[in-house]
Amino acid sequence: MSAPDPITAELFRNSIVALGDEMALTIYRAAYSGVLKNIMDYSTAICDARGRLVAQGLSLPGHLCSIPVALQSCLRHFGADIHPGDVLTMNDPYDGGMHLPDIFVFRPVFAEGAILAWAATICHHTDVGGRVPGSNASDSTEIYAEGLRIPPLKLHERGVPNATLLRMIDRNVRLPGRVMGDLRAQLAACEIAARGIDELVARHGAAGVRALMDETMDHSERLARHCLAELPDGEATFTDWIDDDQIDADVPIKLVCTVRKQGTQMVMDWTGSSPQVKGAINNTWSYTAAASFTAAKSVMSINMANNDGVFRCIEVIAPPGTVTNGVLPAACAARGLTGFRCADAAFGALAMLYPQLVFAASEGGNTGITIGGYDAARRPFIYVDFLSGAWGGRPWADGLDGNTSMFANMASFSVEVIEAENPLEVLDYAFVPDSGGPGLHRGGMAQQRSWRMLAEEGILQVRSDRHTHLPYGLQGGGPGTPSQNTLNPGPAEEKLRAKLTMQLRAGEVFRHRLPGAGGWGCPLDRELHRVARDLRDGLVSLAGAARDYGVVAAGDPPVIDETATLALRARLRAERPPGPAVAWRPLHEKEPQTPPIGAPHPRPDSSE
Amino acid sequence: MNGGAGSGTAGLRIGVDIGGTFTDLVAIGADGAIRTHKTASTPGDYSLGIETGLRALLGAEVVDEVLHATTIGSNAILEGKGARTALVTSRGFRDVLEIRDLRMPRLYDMHWTKPPALVERRLRLEVGGRMRPDGSESEALDQADIAAAVRLIAAEGVASVAVCLLHSYANPAHEQAVAAALRAALPGVAVTASHALLPEIKEYPRTSTTVVNAYLQPVVRAYLTALEARLRALGIGAGLQLMQSNGGLASAQHAGAFPAHIVESGPAAGVVGAAVLAARLGEPRVITFDMGGTTAKAGLVEHGEVLRAEAMEVGAGVMAGARLLVGAGYMLKLPAVDLAEVGAGGGSICRLDAAGAPKVGPHSAGADPGPACYGRGGGEPTITDCNLVLGYLDPAGLAGGALALDAGAARAAVARRLAGPLGLTLEQAAHGMLQLASATMMRAIRAVSVERGRDVRGCALLAFGGNGPLFAAGIAAALGIGRVVVPPMPGLFSAFGLLLADTEHHATRSLRMRLDAPDAGALAAAVDGLVAAGRAHLAQDGFAPARQVLMLSAMARYVGQSSELTVRLEGSDAAAILAGLAEAFGAEHLRSYGFRAPSEEPVELMGLSLIARGVAARPRLPAAIPPAAARVPARRDAWFADIGWVATPVCDRAALAAGPRAGPLIVQEYDATCLVPPGAAAALDSFGNIVLSLTPG
Repeated sequence: MSAPDPITAELFRNSIVALGDEMALTIYRAAYSGVLKNIMDYSTAICDARGRLVAQGLSLPGHLCSIPVALQSCLRHFGADIHPGDVLTMNDPYDGGMHLPDIFVFRPVFAEGAILAWAATICHHTDVGGRVPGSNASDSTEIYAEGLRIPPLKLHERGVPNATLLRMIDRNVRLPGRVMGDLRAQLAACEIAARGIDELVARHGAAGVRALMDETMDHSERLARHCLAELPDGEATFTDWIDDDQIDADVPIKLVCTVRKQGTQMVMDWTGSSPQVKGAINNTWSYTAAASFTAAKSVMSINMANNDGVFRCIEVIAPPGTVTNGVLPAACAARGLTGFRCADAAFGALAMLYPQLVFAASEGGNTGITIGGYDAARRPFIYVDFLSGAWGGRPWADGLDGNTSMFANMASFSVEVIEAENPLEVLDYAFVPDSGGPGLHRGGMAQQRSWRMLAEEGILQVRSDRHTHLPYGLQGGGPGTPSQNTLNPGPAEEKLRAKLTMQLRAGEVFRHRLPGAGGWGCPLDRELHRVARDLRDGLVSLAGAARDYGVVAAGDPPVIDETATLALRARLRAERPPGPAVAWRPLHEKEPQTPPIGAPHPRPDSSE
Repeated sequence: MNGGAGSGTAGLRIGVDIGGTFTDLVAIGADGAIRTHKTASTPGDYSLGIETGLRALLGAEVVDEVLHATTIGSNAILEGKGARTALVTSRGFRDVLEIRDLRMPRLYDMHWTKPPALVERRLRLEVGGRMRPDGSESEALDQADIAAAVRLIAAEGVASVAVCLLHSYANPAHEQAVAAALRAALPGVAVTASHALLPEIKEYPRTSTTVVNAYLQPVVRAYLTALEARLRALGIGAGLQLMQSNGGLASAQHAGAFPAHIVESGPAAGVVGAAVLAARLGEPRVITFDMGGTTAKAGLVEHGEVLRAEAMEVGAGVMAGARLLVGAGYMLKLPAVDLAEVGAGGGSICRLDAAGAPKVGPHSAGADPGPACYGRGGGEPTITDCNLVLGYLDPAGLAGGALALDAGAARAAVARRLAGPLGLTLEQAAHGMLQLASATMMRAIRAVSVERGRDVRGCALLAFGGNGPLFAAGIAAALGIGRVVVPPMPGLFSAFGLLLADTEHHATRSLRMRLDAPDAGALAAAVDGLVAAGRAHLAQDGFAPARQVLMLSAMARYVGQSSELTVRLEGSDAAAILAGLAEAFGAEHLRSYGFRAPSEEPVELMGLSLIARGVAARPRLPAAIPPAAARVPARRDAWFADIGWVATPVCDRAALAAGPRAGPLIVQEYDATCLVPPGAAAALDSFGNIVLSLTPG
C-alpha cells in the first residue's frame, strides 16, 4: 500500500485515539473498585502486531509506556502460540510488569489469519494477596511477600476461560468479587477495541490499517521532534531525594536525573541513583520511563498523541540494580512514591535547562493511607485513600492549590462516602496556612485530612515522604512545608514517622498533612495584591506574610501597611542572601541545620 | 398560578430562545399557524431584545404562554457576574469547594489553571455540629458559630448564601436550622440549603451545586422580574415558564428559586422538541444532531424520552471526546439532557499542525471576522468556506441573501492554507476538511449512543441548527444510519422545541439498601416522600391529578462498584420494586457495558429519582407545519467525492411536496441548507419534515 493520503491518515488517527478513549470509558463505567475509578489507576491502549503503542486512552500518565513493555514480554513468551480467542494476562514486574496490583489483559485482533493489533489494558486491582490488605505495603523486603505473581499466561485460550488460573487468582486475593469484576471490565474494554479494529479493517483492509498505524506513530514522532528542535540543546543534572524506604530508617535515597538534549533527541539518564533498596519502593524501568516521559512531554509545546513515535525521541537509561530499575527479588508494591520523586527529579533537571518552562517542586506525589480492620459486626473493612494536590509555583503563575499531581490524574474520595462505608469519622479536609513555598509565584497549599477511629481497633498504614527532604523552590523561591503525621492532635499529640504501620484504637485521631509545594522566584518581589489576597483568604498568616514575604499587615480582614512593607522588604533584602537557584530549606532559616546524612548539600549537584 | 401549561385556552403560545448573537421567537396559534422572528440579542439586559421581538411578532392576540430558554445562567458563570456569595459548611470542610475532586481536564499541561472558586475563602464559613451517615446527630449545632457567620455575612455585603453541611441528605435538621437563622437575621439575602436542592450523598458535588445555585439566584431572579414586568407592559399576563437543563419546563418562580436547573436551557429545548417529534413519527430511537457556528451537539431520544445525564459541568467549554477528563468547569450534580458537544461548527477553522496534518477546530472564526467568505478579513479557511467551495452553500448568501458570501475568498483561503501544502486539489482539500469535521461530530454521536450500549444503526438522525442539515446525510451514511429527519425551521428549532415541552420537576434522594437485605418500609417511605413532593409541585403549577405523570427511577450498582446505573421503575409499590430491581439492573448493565455479573452478585440500591410531569390539556404539537416557500436558483454546480462536479438541482422545502426526489439535490431554506448527496433521496412527510433515505455505506 502506498503512503496514506493526509485526510485518510487524520481520519484514522481520530478513530484509533477515540477507540483508546472508548476502552478507557468502558473500564471507568464498569469497574468495581473505587481505586480504579476515583484514581483512574488504569490505562487502555491499542498496539500493533509488534507490541508498539499506537494509541493510548486518556488516563494515568504513570502507565505511559508500561503497556508495550509488558506486551512485548508476552510476545516473547508465546511467540507463534497465539490464536484467535486467546487473551493474555500477567503482572510480574520482573517479566515486563509494573507492580503486582497492576494486572495486564491483552487480546489479539486477527485479520487475514495473522495478528494485526492488540487491545491492551492495565488496571490497578484492589488486592492481589500478600501480607497486607491492598497488597501495597511499603515495608515488604521481597516481592514474594507482596502477593500473587502472575507470569505471562493465557487468561482465555481459544475463547475458553482458563479456569485453573482464575481459581488460583480467586483463592489468593482478599476481595475476589472485586478483582473478578475488574477483570471483566478489562475484558469488556478489549472487546470494544476488537470490534472497533474490525470496523477499521473493513474500511481500510488489513494492509491499510497496518500502514495507517505506522503513519499514526510517525506523525507523533514528527511532532515530538518538531517540539524538541524548538528547545535549545544542553545537558543538566538534578538530584532529588526520598526520605527513606521505611526499612533503613533515615537513610535517604538518591535519584539523579541527567537530561541531555541534542537536536531532536532527548536522553534522560538515571545513572548515579541509589542502589535498589530493601523497602518496597523499587521502580521497574517502565515506571521510571513513565516519569521521564511525563516531564519531557510537559515542556513540549504541542500535546501530541502518546505512542511509540514519542518514545522514539526520548531515550531513558535506568541502570539495573538501582532504585530506578530494580532486579529480583526487589520489593516494589509501593513504588508509586519513587515514580513521583523521579518526576520531581526529571522536572528539576529540565528546570535547570529551561528555567522559564518548568514549575518548582509539587507536593511530591500522593500519600497512601490504608486503614483496615473489622467493624462492630465483625465485618472486615479496608479503606484505601490517596491524598495529593499542590503544584509548585510556575515561572508565569502561582502553583495550583488542591489539584491532582501532574503524574497521576487522581480524584479525592468523598468524606461522606468514607464515613458511610467505614467505621471512621473524618474531621477535616482543608488547606494548611503558610504551607505553600513562598515565592514571586507561591507554591500550592498543603492539605490535611484527619480520621477518628470508630471501630474497636484497626491497622493504620501510611506511606508518605517529603518529611525531611522538602519540595524544592526554584529561582529564589522557598521550599514547601514538610509532610506531617500526627496522632491525637492537640496538647498531648504525638508526632509520627512519615511511613508507618500501627494499631489505631477506638477514639484515636490520626491527622495527615501533605507537603506544601515549592515557590518560584523571590518572595520579596511578590506583588502586594497577591499577598493581600492570600492574607484575606487565610492562606498566609500575618506572621507568615512578614517572615516569608516581608509584608506588614494588620486587622481583620488584614490590610497591608505599604510603607512598613517597603522598609521590611529592604531590610530583608539586605540581611538575607539571595535565594538559591534550588532551595531545599526555608529561606528565613539563618543557619543551615546540620543536614541528615546524605541529604542534599547546600549547593546541590545541579549544573546548568 | 401558571394558567398556560395546565389550561387549554386558545391564544398564542410563544417560544423564546436567547443565544449569544440572536434571539429567536416562534409563535404558534391554536390553529397551528406558525410565526417566527429573529432579532439581535441585547447583552446587558436580554429582556429588552425579547420585548423588541415580541412587539414585531404580535398583534392584538391573547398570549397563553411564554416559554423561554436563556443563557443567563451560564453567561453569569462564564463572565464571573453572579452574586457575591458566601458558603456555610461543616467545621473543617470549608475548602471542599475549592479542592473539588482534585481531577484536572488536561494532562501534561503545566499551564492548566483551575476555574476560581465561586466563593472566596474568607466567605466560606464553618459551623460546629455533625450528623452521622445514618442521620443521627453526633454533635449539636454550635449556635455561636452561626452567630459569627451571620455577623461576617452582614459585614461583607453578601447577597446570597449557600448552606451545605455534612450528611444533610440523611438528616437536614442542622441545615434547616442554619438556613432559618440566616433568613431571620439577614432579610434580603438569598439562602440556598443543599438538602432542598440535592439531598444526595457526596459532599463535593452537593456543595458545588448548591453554591452555583446561590451564585445565580439573585441574578436570575432580577432578570426574571424584569422580563415579567416587560411582558405585563405588553399586556401579556400569561405565566412565564423556563426550560430547565433536564428538558422540562418550570415556572418562573421555581426557576428563580433553583436557577441551577436552567443553566443549559437552550440546548435542552431542541432535544425536547426532537423527542416530541420522534414520538409523533413513531421513531423508537432518534439521535439529535444540532450543529451551529462554533459547536455541534448530539443527544439521544429513546421511546420519546430524552436521555439524561446525572451531572454536568457548566463553564467548561468544549472538550472534544473527553468525557473522562473532568474539572474544566463547575460541577452541577443535577439531571440534564445528555449532550455531547464537540468544537466543530460552520466557523471552525481548518489548519495544518506542526507536522503538516490537517485539523478542524476547536478554534472558531466566530461571527467577526468570521469565515474567509464573509470578506471581513478572516484569512483562515473554515468549514463554511469549504461548503461554499464545493457549491453546497449559495454564493448569493446566507439568510435569504442577507449575508453575501465571497466564493473567491473562500477558494483562495482553502487553496493557500490547505490544498497547496497538502498536495491535494482544491475540492479534495475542502471535502477532506468536511470529512474531518464529520468525524469529530461522529465522536459526539458515538458518545451518546455506542458508548452507552446503543447501536446507532437502528436510530434515525434528527438534524437541526444552521449547519446540521448540511452534514446530516454524510454522517448518517458513515454511521450506517438509514434515515435522516430535518424538521421545519431547523435554524430556529430550539425555540420551536420550547413549544413542545412539558412542565417537569426532577428530584433525587439518597437511599442505600442492599437488595439481598431489603427494607420495604424504608423504600416505601422514600418513594412516598418523593411522589408526594412531585404531586404537590404539579398541583401548585395547576395540574389536576389526572394530568400528572410520575416516572420513578432507581440508581443501583453491584456491591463494590463505585458508580451507579439508572434503572427505570414501573409503578411505585415498594414490594414490586424490590422484586424486580435486581433483574432490571442486570439487564441494563448488560446493555450499557456488555456484561452482567453472575446472579449471586448482590445489587445495591443507592438512590431514587423522580420526574413529575404535568401533561398539557391539548396536544402541544400541531398536526402539520406547512413549508414556507423560498426563492432559490434552479441549479448550482456542486462537487461530490467519486463523481466530481455535478450541475445539482436546488429547490425549497415546499417543492418536495410534489413528491420524493433523488440526490444529488440541495434543499435551500431561509435558515438552513439541506444537502441530499447522490444515492440519497428526500421526501416531505405529512408533518412537514424533510426525510432523507440513505443506503448505508
